[in-house]
Amino acid sequence: MRSVLTIAGLTAALVLGTLVVCTGQSSHVANAQEKMPSIEVKIDNFSFGPATLTVPVGSMVTWTNRDDIPHTVVSTDDPKTFKSKVLDTNEKFSFTFSKAGTYPYFCSIHPKMTGKVVVQ
Amino acid sequence: MHPFDVKTILFAKHAQHVVLIHFPIALFIIGVLFDFLGQWKKQQLLAVAAYYNLCVAAIATFPVVVTGIVAWQWELEGQKLKGILLMHLVMGCVSSVLICLVWFIHMRTRREQEDLPGYRLPIEAAAVVIVSLTGHLGGFLSGVNG
Repeated sequence: MRSVLTIAGLTAALVLGTLVVCTGQSSHVANAQEKMPSIEVKIDNFSFGPATLTVPVGSMVTWTNRDDIPHTVVSTDDPKTFKSKVLDTNEKFSFTFSKAGTYPYFCSIHPKMTGKVVVQ
Repeated sequence: MHPFDVKTILFAKHAQHVVLIHFPIALFIIGVLFDFLGQWKKQQLLAVAAYYNLCVAAIATFPVVVTGIVAWQWELEGQKLKGILLMHLVMGCVSSVLICLVWFIHMRTRREQEDLPGYRLPIEAAAVVIVSLTGHLGGFLSGVNG
């Protein structure tokens, strides 16, 4: 009887410990996400929306292609700060801006499609 | 942007592939039209007009294919294509081969001084359909047909 109680106690401790660790990790992840806001730029009808985006340093910007045709997101500087693959409909591309500055970009398939991210 | 930079001249704000593609499409469709009219009206002059249109159309496909592939390699860094872009690439290659094939049939017939073979007409009709579909996809990609 004593050994059964010991095993039950150990199991309960293990379960509780696991729960505490998991909860701690998830709150840690949540804190990290809170620190790094994610902002979305929508690609639709041959334009980036918003065309000019102002974000704090460390922000992650996600471009989502809501258009029917493929687009890319490519910074205009050389060497390229960021460059996506070809994004089909509903595909996303994310980039985290770790330095302040102005980052103009365009779609390399449709060069008249331009946008700008201002990182402050 | 530097006006004498090759990439700028070929692609920036003014993709040459999009400009050049109009020449083989127009020349080929008109060439086929003249060929069909020449066949129907039994007029040698229309057949000659068809031949020269098809000849220039075949020549015009080369810069179009080159600028298309260069745009893929430079602007998209040769990444694996899928969807409409892949369909456009495949159909563009098939269209180019068909345009050159039709011209070759006409050229060989003229060289051998034979009558034009009847089987060319369905090939030409199919080629016009494929060229038109390829052009439609290109227009869709560039936003003209979107």
